[in-house]
Amino acid sequence: MQIQLQQVLPTFIEEEKIAQSKIWNNNVVFNTGEKIQIVAASGSGKTSLIHFLYGLRKDYNGSILYDNNSISHFDAEKFATYRQQNISIVFQDLRLFAEQTVLQNLEIKRQLNPYHTESKIAAMAKRLGIENKLHKLCKTCSYGEQQRIAIIRSLQQPFNFLLLDEPFSHLDENNRKKAMELMEEETAIRKAAIILADLKAIEYFKADRILHL
Amino acid sequence: MLSFKHIAPFLNTGQNKVSRWFSYIGLGIGVLLLLCSVQMYININQLLKERNPKKTGFDFISVTKIITDENMARDNRFTPDNLKEIQSQLFIDDAAPLIANQFRVKASAGNIIPFSTDLFLESINEKFIDTVPPNFTWQEGQTDVPIIFSSDFLEMYNVFAPSQDLPQLSQNTISSVKIMLECYGPAGVQTFRGQIVAISDRINSILVPDNFMQMANKNFGGVTVVPASRIYLRTKDANNPELLSFLQQKNYHVNKDKTKFGRIKQILQAIVSGLAGFGVLVILLAMVLFSFYLQLMIARSKENLQLLLTLGYSPHWLSKTVAKKWIPVYVVVVITAVLLTALLHWGFQYFVMKGREELSPFIHWIVLAIAIALLALSVAVNFRLVKKLLYKL
Repeated sequence: MQIQLQQVLPTFIEEEKIAQSKIWNNNVVFNTGEKIQIVAASGSGKTSLIHFLYGLRKDYNGSILYDNNSISHFDAEKFATYRQQNISIVFQDLRLFAEQTVLQNLEIKRQLNPYHTESKIAAMAKRLGIENKLHKLCKTCSYGEQQRIAIIRSLQQPFNFLLLDEPFSHLDENNRKKAMELMEEETAIRKAAIILADLKAIEYFKADRILHL
Repeated sequence: MLSFKHIAPFLNTGQNKVSRWFSYIGLGIGVLLLLCSVQMYININQLLKERNPKKTGFDFISVTKIITDENMARDNRFTPDNLKEIQSQLFIDDAAPLIANQFRVKASAGNIIPFSTDLFLESINEKFIDTVPPNFTWQEGQTDVPIIFSSDFLEMYNVFAPSQDLPQLSQNTISSVKIMLECYGPAGVQTFRGQIVAISDRINSILVPDNFMQMANKNFGGVTVVPASRIYLRTKDANNPELLSFLQQKNYHVNKDKTKFGRIKQILQAIVSGLAGFGVLVILLAMVLFSFYLQLMIARSKENLQLLLTLGYSPHWLSKTVAKKWIPVYVVVVITAVLLTALLHWGFQYFVMKGREELSPFIHWIVLAIAIALLALSVAVNFRLVKKLLYKL
């Protein structure tokens, strides 16, 4: 399984940023099992790329192929299936249900296409140190805690690609390592790929490739 | 298995209780009005249709043109085109003209009853006569003419006979009376012997066989084509509102008593149709109100719904699941309306109609079919609406 980027170019990007980029306007292939680090400065379109891959935005030229099918031709139902089975994500802005409890936030994702049992949620929460937050409202958790909730949520489904958009920005060194370990384990079980986009290379993420955006 | 219960906490379904309840009640009232109207429509049809079971299954009615001050100087008989037009109407099974004599006829009863009078004769297609004995035939050269006499005329005769010192006659004795028919033509008078061979309850006239009338009109009146001043209609239902509107529109006169129920039916059906129309309007308003509630609920839950879609929830599944939540409500509303209709109909049949047999105490199957159709419609409209709103997010 692979994702191919063919001459993908956001419609809004400045000329000088394209020349430096290893991704924009190039042909790039991401394979399952790979660990890919995308390094980019602010404003170079990192979040846009992640959103293009997840199918949230379509304001680009060129094409993105998943399993040789252009995702720009997917309809709403096909995207729903794509997001249930093939691709998972940790958003930079997290996108949690603020008025629901942490457990509800995790369960709503898990029930959609369960990969783990409910007890696994508690185990993961414990591993990342938020086990006592499960029954608290999400909006009462700190940003760092919310980041860990978003990470655990992304691991509740089957996937071939895990998209991470600055997933550790509010975590300390210790928590970053724990979270990274958990994600690498889960990805390995699924023989999936991690595509991690961040401002600079993260040393404890053993990337197979580092691409500068 | 995912169900509404899982996503319920993410939707603001509890909002706007008042408008939601108004729409439920509105829907109930609308459905009740519509179902009751349909049931009443059926009741009216059943009550006013076959009042007198007809042996032949047909009603026969005599139609004339209305004579008014304006048209009395003109010929108000039916032209062949008029007849064709009448025959072509779907609600008229058949129509035949009554042809009158175009010459002077004088009748006398000979020596037994000292009575003589100028008379009129008519003829009509035999199919339209209720009592046609086998001897109601006439051949060229025959001096005996069979006559079918109206029972009303017999009754009238028996009313004035005693005052004129004439004997009263029964239906049996009248057939033994020989009537001398004197026909006046350009070549003089010719006398025929008339014999009453049958009494007709249906046609108010003195009928002779068709071919006798043709011959007589030609020989004594000098005419071959005679326009009809009366036309007899044969119809499945003399109270059919369509027939009545046609006759009214053409300015044709018809026996009011025969079509009285038709007139009542016309008015009642108009009232009931109006009520049904009002019911449909109320249903539409209730649906609009409910759609406002749905729009508001979805607008208030917009962010959550968007996030559910982002997480991979299928818009089709979401709309199906959200829409399904209201199916039980619709079922309860429609079943309540059906039960109330059944109760009202039963009350009408039992208390107003005193349990008359023409009406079944149960509601008609059409009413049930309409209820089911309305239920299906509500569910379909609701599903489409939710889907449209969700796809717009």
